[in-house]
Amino acid sequence: MSDIKIKSKNLNVYYGDKQALFDVNLDLNEKEVTALIGPSGCGKSTFIRCINRMNDVIDICKVTGNIEIDGIEINDSNLDVVSLRERVGMVFQKPNPFPKSIYDNISYGPKIHGKGETKNELDEIVEKSLKKAALWEEVKDRLNEPGTGLSGGQQQRLCIARAISVNPEVILMDEPCSALDPIATAKIEELIDELKKTYTIVIVTHSMAQAVRVSQKTGFFHLGKIIEVGKTEKIFKNPDNKMTQDYITGRFG
Amino acid sequence: MTKEERLKKRHRAEKRFRFYGLSSIVVALLFVIILVNNIFSKGSSAFMKTVINVEVFFDPELIEIKNGATEDEILSADFFDITIETLLKSYPTKNIDEEDGLIDLFTTDAEIEIKKAFLDNNNLIGKKINLEITASDDIDQLHKGNYPRDLPEDRRRISNFQLEIYDNFVESNKIDKNFNNYFFNNGDSRDPELAGIGGALVGSFYSILICLLLAFPVAVLASIYLEEFAPKNKITDFIEININNLAAVPSIVYGLLALQILLATIQLPRSTPLVAGITLALMTLPRIIIPCRASLKAVPPSIREGALAVGASKFQSVFHHVVPLALPGTLSGTIIGLAQALGETAPLILIGMVAFVVDIPSTPVDPSSSLPVQVYLWSESAERGFVEKTSATIMMLLSFLIVMNILAVYLRQKFEKRWN
Ligand SMILES: Nc1ncnc2c1ncn2[C@@H]1O[C@H](COP(=O)(O)OP(=O)(O)O)[C@@H](O)[C@H]1O
Ligand SMILES: [Mg+2]
Repeated sequence: MSDIKIKSKNLNVYYGDKQALFDVNLDLNEKEVTALIGPSGCGKSTFIRCINRMNDVIDICKVTGNIEIDGIEINDSNLDVVSLRERVGMVFQKPNPFPKSIYDNISYGPKIHGKGETKNELDEIVEKSLKKAALWEEVKDRLNEPGTGLSGGQQQRLCIARAISVNPEVILMDEPCSALDPIATAKIEELIDELKKTYTIVIVTHSMAQAVRVSQKTGFFHLGKIIEVGKTEKIFKNPDNKMTQDYITGRFG
Repeated sequence: MTKEERLKKRHRAEKRFRFYGLSSIVVALLFVIILVNNIFSKGSSAFMKTVINVEVFFDPELIEIKNGATEDEILSADFFDITIETLLKSYPTKNIDEEDGLIDLFTTDAEIEIKKAFLDNNNLIGKKINLEITASDDIDQLHKGNYPRDLPEDRRRISNFQLEIYDNFVESNKIDKNFNNYFFNNGDSRDPELAGIGGALVGSFYSILICLLLAFPVAVLASIYLEEFAPKNKITDFIEININNLAAVPSIVYGLLALQILLATIQLPRSTPLVAGITLALMTLPRIIIPCRASLKAVPPSIREGALAVGASKFQSVFHHVVPLALPGTLSGTIIGLAQALGETAPLILIGMVAFVVDIPSTPVDPSSSLPVQVYLWSESAERGFVEKTSATIMMLLSFLIVMNILAVYLRQKFEKRWN
């Protein structure tokens, strides 16, 4: 059994007066893929944005409760979010490469964290990150072309490479394939399989099939509450909860 | 109604709409053409001036300096006698009235022009040269065909004798048209043939420069703070509304404000580009903040999130990613704001820039005019010579505005990223 990497305890999130998460308790295992499923607006994005404190940017958002990474509390106003986000990377629903060259997209993170001191070191990081994101072969001859000129699937892998570039421990993915065609999706899923050897991955997905294919553990959210968590096989074959059963069989959502 | 009828009706409606739209554009273009044509036909002649070719004899009897005189000696020397001699010799006269009439055909600056010729070559004592002397305003306008010669003599500024001389000069090819250097090099003057926009150009340049230096950094920093860092609450909403209000305040109000605060209270020097620049900066500030905020807003939030997610600080995400992307829009908004400031007249009139300024300002704290105020000043003058100068100044002003606007559009189209 793998170790617990991230642990949330009684996590509550409010957007102004509106509560979006209710007492979420969820453990995420190290070097495993955890899929979060549930109908739109149930708080999946809100939850994963707590893990890298992305909700800080939203003025009206308030988070109470605990999230621990490696046993260290991160929902703490004294914590340096910059170094947290260095450890917890994120990939968004819509590919959002910077409107800069492919090279600059990848080298930006290492640069601001002082990781690549020399051009050689940076070159190495860029190559390594792109290789890990299975994009190197496609772009190695045009690193100076704009990242926004790539296809959607390539852009998303570029964003994954960008997240990898600062050598994080955790990668959060918020519906990374929802804007992609099936072939690009398949490539990303393959990539996730590979990445889980190195990183702890949390993926939000709308596709049951994808959850089954890529994840070892699945959490089902509904109306801001975690309804059921367990091994992916178990959740999809034999859920304990009636609501989970209804959702995965497509009876609501 | 059958299906065909409905379809026909829809097609007719579309055709009608196209027709209306097209006619509006034609009408608008027509007005532009009339305006431009009017200004061009009146103003283009101002770029040329009429000159009269005369023979100058640097008679050693009439002048106290020698060949090889230094610049200072020449400048302080008296060329008046030589000038009068030269002008009088250009045509035979019988009495003092005719002599006055002859001299009046030349600019009042004839002496200075002769002196300049001597400055260029200080070896001319005892020698004769041919020199083109600028004609007086009346002859200039007559030669350009702007002056009616068929009026009775008592209603003309030009006497019959002067007309006779003019015709004789034309016949003997002594009259010519040259590029009007005075129009660009000189300050204002009471004599239209000597008046130029040099002072106004420099005054406008200083004013706009000061306006840019003050307004741009303040506007950009204010926009970045408001858009990226300020909390969204009642106070920032209030500020936002008031910035929009300020942009709509009539410019003359800024003139009044400057009059009260800059001139009366702080006692900055009147009629100067410094005061004009500060006034225009106040006016331009909201007009830059609005497009600057708009272009910051146009940068999609996903870019900010992307930067934050790799561990950039808020400051880094704004200054490494958002601001560079918003720069083209900001610059083009700034240029358009400056173009408006360049054409602004009312506030400058209030701070005393309507003064009659002959000297070209050498610093921003010298009294000065500006292009739009010069237009206003000359449009009030009765002399025909100022009519063409007014239009020519408008042409200059319009060219600057067109260049600035083209630059603004170019910057936006070339460098602005489009988001889908
Ligand atoms: N920035 C926000 N401001 C206010 N409410 C928000 C914001 N983001 C999300 N919410 C609300 O929080 C709830 C959960 O949203 P979200 O986490 O995006 O759901 P999911 O990702 O599961 O579709 C929704 O009801 C949504 O309306
Ligand atoms: Mg979501």
